[in-house]
Amino acid sequence: MSGDADLVAIIRTVDLTKRFEDVAAVDNLNLSIEDGEIFGLLGPNGAGKTTTVLMLSTVIKPTNGTAFVGDFDVRKNPNDVRKLIGICFQEPKLLWVSTPWDVLNWHAKVCGLATEERKRRVKQVLNDVNMWEARRKSVHGLSGGMRKRVEIAKVLIQRPKIAFVDEPTAQIDVIGKHKIWNMIRQLRDEGSTIILATNELYEADVLSDRVGIMHKGGLLVCDTPRTLKDSIPGGDIVEIHLEKEATDKVLEELKSLKEISDIAEINPKSLRVYLNNVEEVVPQIMKAFLKRNLPILSIKMSEPSLDDVFVHYTGLTIEEAQQKMIKGEADG
Amino acid sequence: MFLRYKFLIVMRAIWFIAQVSFFGLIVSRLVVFELKGIYFQYYVAGIIIMMLYSVSVFIGYDIFEEAEHGVFEYLLSLPVSRKELVLGRSIGGGIRSFIFVGPLIAIALAIVGVTQIMNLVIALSALFLFAFGASGMSITIAVALKSGDRFDILMGVLNALIIRLSTVMYPQVFIEDASNVYAGIANFNPVTFASDLFRWGVGIEQYLTMTPLLAILGIVAFFFVFTFVGVTVYERRLEGGGWK
Ligand SMILES: Nc1ncnc2c1ncn2[C@@H]1O[C@H](COP(=O)(O)OP(=O)(O)OP(=O)(O)O)[C@@H](O)[C@H]1O
Ligand SMILES: [Mg+2]
Repeated sequence: MSGDADLVAIIRTVDLTKRFEDVAAVDNLNLSIEDGEIFGLLGPNGAGKTTTVLMLSTVIKPTNGTAFVGDFDVRKNPNDVRKLIGICFQEPKLLWVSTPWDVLNWHAKVCGLATEERKRRVKQVLNDVNMWEARRKSVHGLSGGMRKRVEIAKVLIQRPKIAFVDEPTAQIDVIGKHKIWNMIRQLRDEGSTIILATNELYEADVLSDRVGIMHKGGLLVCDTPRTLKDSIPGGDIVEIHLEKEATDKVLEELKSLKEISDIAEINPKSLRVYLNNVEEVVPQIMKAFLKRNLPILSIKMSEPSLDDVFVHYTGLTIEEAQQKMIKGEADG
Repeated sequence: MFLRYKFLIVMRAIWFIAQVSFFGLIVSRLVVFELKGIYFQYYVAGIIIMMLYSVSVFIGYDIFEEAEHGVFEYLLSLPVSRKELVLGRSIGGGIRSFIFVGPLIAIALAIVGVTQIMNLVIALSALFLFAFGASGMSITIAVALKSGDRFDILMGVLNALIIRLSTVMYPQVFIEDASNVYAGIANFNPVTFASDLFRWGVGIEQYLTMTPLLAILGIVAFFFVFTFVGVTVYERRLEGGGWK
């Protein structure tokens, strides 16, 4: 999805900055999100994800810099921006009216859905998020996960051109999570752009076309999950069990491959290889062993997850991270 | 929340009945010669405006409840302009207070009697605007202060000042007699405009401060000022840094 020249940025931030007293919650953020993608916004607690989302949705004003949402400047044309967007807030915002059905019906009405369409969608989405039974319950009596279901339902009913979803499945059970992920994908497939702020890296991995990792208000790295995983050195792991002992020659040949960063001998017949680009390198490894008549008994591959990416990059300074990415791109 | 309103309304209704049937009845026997025979009606009409004012400003407390639950951020993200948002809130608050005070207005009309139906319709329409303006003012103050405690204290003081320095309980000539400064303030007080208009609407015309047209203009100005100020304050205070 990323890098395609024909895709256009639907959101572009220009030195976007928000200070709360002396804390820079978002610090000169420059970020570009493409039309029609699911963009995962990651980062440790307090990184500035929610603050970024609130500025992009015109709820709070930037201290410095600005952002373009659709074709509109969030500072100059906030009314136009609000017509394009919908938000699922990190903390559900429902408590001032009485029932899930009221909350959603009111939301749909304010968003301009006509009566028939509104009734149909509210019912459909309430069913989809398993809240139809509980639609007449007081929101005060809902569990945390149920409130979150109602919160995400707002966006699913509204189907905005640009949807911000901040931790959309936090507190929601596994079956619910998968259902909601599918609905978010469907929303994207129907043409919406989705900005997913989350701390659930697995969620970001399975949903996002691209992810950006924020740290201390800035953007550390931004690319497809695949590229990011490949960008951490020795991120892939391959365990090889041989029929005979490995020779020094073959080990040397393997070490000469630039994708391989390290080889650990668990015992003379078992190796643990740390490498990048596992799909391309494994055939070369197999060739090297077969050439020297060293039959392989088994190969086990494991991939780095976004967890590894996250830990790797958030441990770095922004400069270091950008250096690494540039180096990674040059290598690949 | 609704329960709290029920409680408020029941308490205010009891307060209203006490004011009218004890204080009003007794104090009207105590007034100067010129007011003999009309003060009771005069007082009942004023007390209605006092009720309308105090129920309308109650919406400010809702703001804190909403802020606590972060509902503000949600409202600010909706596809409506800030003006529509503030207007929606103040009109909503105004209508609600009108519904609550409605039965008491009916009691007041029964006590005072109605002569000119057209005047009454005009007066009640202006009172709608007055209620919207009072709600808008309360929302503006709540948003500007961002503190429930300070709001509570300030509204208590404001209530004392705005009611005492108006013609809710006594005609302007007596205020003037006491102090020209007091009279000057009462002359520009929206509560005076509303009291005057309601009395004019029910035919108590002896002690009006100003012509009904001026009073209507005053209420319209009150409404517009607080809608405009409300929008500005909303933008400044909330978008600037959220609610803490
Ligand atoms: N209204 C506010 N007033 C003062 N500081 C704030 C406010 N909102 C956020 N901050 C600060 O800004 C920084 C970024 O917060 P933000 O909520 O954007 O982080 P986040 O990345 O969404 O974190 P999380 O993963 O916990 O949701 C934090 O240091 C936070 O304390
Ligand atoms: Mg957050």
